[in-house]
Amino acid sequence: MPSKLKLLWLQGITCNGNAHSFLNHPRLASLLKHFELLYHPLLPSSYSLEKIVTDFPAADILIFEGAYSSEFTRADVKLQTIITNLQQKSSYIIAAGTCAAYGGIMQLSDPKSSGIIYTKQKELLNLIDKEKLISIPGCPIHPEWLGYVLEMIIHNKKIPLDNELRPSELFAPLTHHGCDRNEYFEWKVDAKQFGEKEGCLYYEQGCRGVMTHSSCNKILWNEVSSKTKAGTPCFGCTESDFPRSNMFHTKTNMSIPEDVPLGVGKKTYLTIAGIAKTFHIKRLEGKLIDYKTDNRKD
Amino acid sequence: MITKQIIEKIEGEAEVFFEEQNNKVSFATISFGHMRDFSKILQEKPALDALVLTPRICGICGHSHLYATVKALENAYKNAGVNVELSEKSFQIRETTLMLEIIQNHIKWIYLTAIPKIETLLKKHSQTKLKGLYSSTLINKIIALLSGQYPHNSYMLPGGITSDFTYIDITKAIGFLDELSIFLEKEFFGVDLENFLSFQSCKDFNTIKSEVASFENSLIDLQMQTKGFGYDRFLTLGDHSFTKQAKIKKTLLQKADIKYLSTSPAYSPHQTTFAYNALYKDEFIEVGPLARAMSNNIPLIKNIHRRYKDSTYARSIARIYEIAFLIQKIRKTILHVDVTQPSFIELPNIKKISAKGVGVVEAPRGSLIHTVSIEKGIIKEYEIITPTQFNLASGTKEKPSIAQNAMKGLNKEEAVFAFRTFDVCSVCTTH
Repeated sequence: MPSKLKLLWLQGITCNGNAHSFLNHPRLASLLKHFELLYHPLLPSSYSLEKIVTDFPAADILIFEGAYSSEFTRADVKLQTIITNLQQKSSYIIAAGTCAAYGGIMQLSDPKSSGIIYTKQKELLNLIDKEKLISIPGCPIHPEWLGYVLEMIIHNKKIPLDNELRPSELFAPLTHHGCDRNEYFEWKVDAKQFGEKEGCLYYEQGCRGVMTHSSCNKILWNEVSSKTKAGTPCFGCTESDFPRSNMFHTKTNMSIPEDVPLGVGKKTYLTIAGIAKTFHIKRLEGKLIDYKTDNRKD
Repeated sequence: MITKQIIEKIEGEAEVFFEEQNNKVSFATISFGHMRDFSKILQEKPALDALVLTPRICGICGHSHLYATVKALENAYKNAGVNVELSEKSFQIRETTLMLEIIQNHIKWIYLTAIPKIETLLKKHSQTKLKGLYSSTLINKIIALLSGQYPHNSYMLPGGITSDFTYIDITKAIGFLDELSIFLEKEFFGVDLENFLSFQSCKDFNTIKSEVASFENSLIDLQMQTKGFGYDRFLTLGDHSFTKQAKIKKTLLQKADIKYLSTSPAYSPHQTTFAYNALYKDEFIEVGPLARAMSNNIPLIKNIHRRYKDSTYARSIARIYEIAFLIQKIRKTILHVDVTQPSFIELPNIKKISAKGVGVVEAPRGSLIHTVSIEKGIIKEYEIITPTQFNLASGTKEKPSIAQNAMKGLNKEEAVFAFRTFDVCSVCTTH
């Protein structure tokens, strides 16, 4: 194996959720064999936090988790000082999670805080050289998304990025892609209430799947599921405006969702929705699985 | 002289200021210098948004926060005169995913904190215990099967759960649980779970050769059975399928009530802290796995307690025991789930609710309390008390907390180890 890449995982204002999420990577042990961990908030590392913020060791990859505030300190040193020094010596800088990308939930308590790349309003900060940045939003980060980026770096492959510095292969899809409830969306059959397999959560329950960039339903969570598979609406946690308000409810105008699917004109959507709603497809209106009838008895 | 030590590789960061005499800690204060202020974040938010926001308090026990929020909201419904009905299925699944969160927490504590730190204390070469993470990943898979993802899901709602899984998911969950049991029996316990659960005394550890046994031996080598004492009083406020609500003084079980809870600013003369101490009847009291085992009358832990009281040894073994104990509970619970029951029983729109509600849950590290005040479905106040606020409170010399008392008289390295056996959560403390 070629020499190990040096990886430094630094935290700003965080819940630790991204660090924990990454521990669920299905091939964590083999992936980590490629790295020397200079610092990680949970795993054994070569440096202590105090040494990190005084020595500023050079890293091939700097992963930053949490929101950024210039005054916030780690081991008594201001985050601004730490990031300024570390970024100069790092080849890649990964914003891990929505807080690091856009400020996320932490921005709600301190409006002056931001991500290391963007403010919540998506204004680009000049904190870090853009050439080094890769953004992987998500609250928390999906372990396999980070795994993919690290593997691309290990194999020296160029990562295609979109205009918000997110890996296109991960963020071109929407949460909607691969959602189990797509047929209900197509025929505009809404979920009657929570806790059922049937119906689409977009019309009443606040689901943001059709306008959220994420591959949650293509690369499953913990390899087995996703929020929408578990009947929970997508809250759009990979986007800059997360967390929004009234997240279990869809704001509607004349019973049509105010926010229509990404890239679809309002009129277009109204037309197609209007037509689809005129049809009644019995199969989609009943229960998907009949647990009551025992067909062997007939 | 006062020396400061940053405690890292916990959830967040804490500082301990030690006063020493003859190389022994005479007094220590604890500071948590980072604050996010979830109470402020939650103010004026639509009540159901708390189900998305509070799990994000913590990356390792967000599920407990979700459960505490949903219980607080359901309690508000009840206090507003609404009958809240839950199906047995949704209750079983909520309890199951909470128990799973507890064991994934404990496994991470063992492999990422306890074993490496004890090996360092014993001057042994410490190796990364990544294999342990295989088991926490398996546990989180089961949580995801039932709730969508882990961490940070929001699958509980007042009236039930959002997921409407099938027996395909249930059988898969049992399969993963089997795999977890096999892994832990082989790699960790060195004996099958049932056998381990039948242990009556710490002498039974001498009958096995395994990671657990060597950890137990290391605790004895370091005389942790004679160190790290709190006040020999415990509290379990959560009422669950796996534990009972109780206050325990020595071995005497008494009725507990949240009305006796209070908080006060932590004592931190050397540095700003954002923490608040949690007290019961104005006294410091221990919460967590040892408290739960005492309340559950677990023979092994009662035996250990009889010999070694609430020492670091007892606290550590109680956490390990709880892993095996909860795996068995989870198996029984999942096997009884009837998927045909409703997942969710709809309640009136929360916009109609103006009331106060309290939600109490046993989180991995102890009792967790959420209190919400709602006016027409909007949050006016939200208060949270977390387990670390009980165990890792910081009091004065005259009235030290559980952890402060536990560190007294030890050398600094031992004191830090004793501190870590409470399984510190900084991000929860200063939520």
